[in-house]
Amino acid sequence: MLVTLHWAENRKRYGLGLLAMGGLLCAWFGFIIGVDKYTPMDFFYQYSSYFAGLYFVGCLYASMIFSELGNRAQGIRWLSIPASHLEKLLCALFFSVLLFFVAFTLIFYLVDIPMVKLASHIIVREHYKYQGTNQLIGPMGVMNIFSGNGLSIPDRDMFLLGFFAAQSAFILGSVYFSRYSFVKSAIAVVILMFIAVLFITRVVQGNIPAGWRLSGLGEWIRSYNLTGSSGLVRLPAWFEKSRSFLVEFSVPLIFWFITYFRLKEKEV
Amino acid sequence: MVSIKDFHFSYRRKPVFTGLNLELRPGHIYGLLGKNGMGKSTLLRNIAGLLFPRKGSIRALGFEPGRRQPAFLQKVFLVPEEFYLPPIRIDEWVGHTAPFYQDFDQLLFERVVADFDIPLLSRLDEMSYGQRKKALIGFAIATNAPLLLMDEPTNGLDILSKGQFRKVIAGAVDDNKCILISTHQVKDLENLIDRITVIDEGKILFDQGLDAISASLHFKLSFDPAETAQALYHESSFSGNALILPNTDGKDSRPDLEMLYKAIVSDGAKINAVFAGRPGETPRKINQTN
Repeated sequence: MLVTLHWAENRKRYGLGLLAMGGLLCAWFGFIIGVDKYTPMDFFYQYSSYFAGLYFVGCLYASMIFSELGNRAQGIRWLSIPASHLEKLLCALFFSVLLFFVAFTLIFYLVDIPMVKLASHIIVREHYKYQGTNQLIGPMGVMNIFSGNGLSIPDRDMFLLGFFAAQSAFILGSVYFSRYSFVKSAIAVVILMFIAVLFITRVVQGNIPAGWRLSGLGEWIRSYNLTGSSGLVRLPAWFEKSRSFLVEFSVPLIFWFITYFRLKEKEV
Repeated sequence: MVSIKDFHFSYRRKPVFTGLNLELRPGHIYGLLGKNGMGKSTLLRNIAGLLFPRKGSIRALGFEPGRRQPAFLQKVFLVPEEFYLPPIRIDEWVGHTAPFYQDFDQLLFERVVADFDIPLLSRLDEMSYGQRKKALIGFAIATNAPLLLMDEPTNGLDILSKGQFRKVIAGAVDDNKCILISTHQVKDLENLIDRITVIDEGKILFDQGLDAISASLHFKLSFDPAETAQALYHESSFSGNALILPNTDGKDSRPDLEMLYKAIVSDGAKINAVFAGRPGETPRKINQTN
């Protein structure tokens, strides 16, 4: 019932938002095709456009998912709807996390595929060659964001999972901050990241014996010293993998958990 | 139905309520009166579970409102002064919102909305403030919620609509329902409310049923200076001095709520002294109005 109510009240806004998103992607890809004559719409452009759009729009949308609570009239109505806080949170997550991700990916490919074909058509028609060679540039391919088309893309999983972590922080921010939630959440995330970096570089590093330094989450190395010895201490692979899994997946869960309790104690 | 004990509430460091005690019983329409900023809306939002007491307790319909359990939210409906309705058609809004309320009466909603002269297919975002408020009042009544809280419900309603409002509310109350109306437009609620509670500085200044008021106070117009001198409160008017006198010999008069409110605010102790022997009277049942 909450899902249908939310959809009925927001479908026009969401429809327009998706159209605007598609339009902006079209304009961006059109700009790239116009500017880069040799490798327009290559995998790098597609990859970076997808993630930049996903992060920006996803976090912007997430920062508005509980925007009702920043307005007394809307907040009264939202909190008075006879449903539990958990149901309300799950409804918000359904739209902002699941449905948004699916809709964004769909819109991206709806724009990306024809734009890649257009770029390829132009390249083939114009017989573009690589600079300084006689080798013709081949048609562009559509990037599979999930498989990476077999290419080794560093940190692909981190980007994908990091999105859900970042988005969950903005969802929490939408409950915490009544106004300018996106900007305030972004500042809070930057501050948190800065504190984390400080913690790792100052506190953790300060407790490691001289000569040793952190390398990754479960690895310490000692560089060659005056005696000519070096060293590597590594936690067991299964431990490291379990910890990475927990870090990558637990951040959204932790933020959603806090959001739930913030909703329960929200006053309007 | 609603029990408020030693209720304290403050906004940051500004105290609004400091030890309020109040009981609301089913079968009655309560008028909550008070000056602007005295906490009427705050009290309603606390009862609805939208704000939490800083100290003391509120129990409503056997629930602790602040927990906002769905079973409680189904049984209480707040019509706030500032309200929001989604930008969709009325029938869509009702179709998607009514299922949350088990006892929602669609026919009653259609009847009330028809009484208010609002077409069901109108878009809520294209209606005037008054029309949207009437749609919300209609919805609130149709939920059949045992506890109906209304904050300045007649604000924004035209003269005809105020009459319709009184009629609709009077028809909505029964032995199982309690309606609490907060207002500073006392005239709008005459012949509707059956108990008046005046709050001031976070405390109850006056709390009496209309029967007790009629039995204890006599409202009349007079040109007699001696009678005016004896009055608990008086106002000059073109048709003579409007007086509130102690009703010592059981005379029948119609209480003028606006004048009574002014009398209470100007010297509550004097008015309350008349009721000294009759605290905690059971309010009379509503059976008709308008």
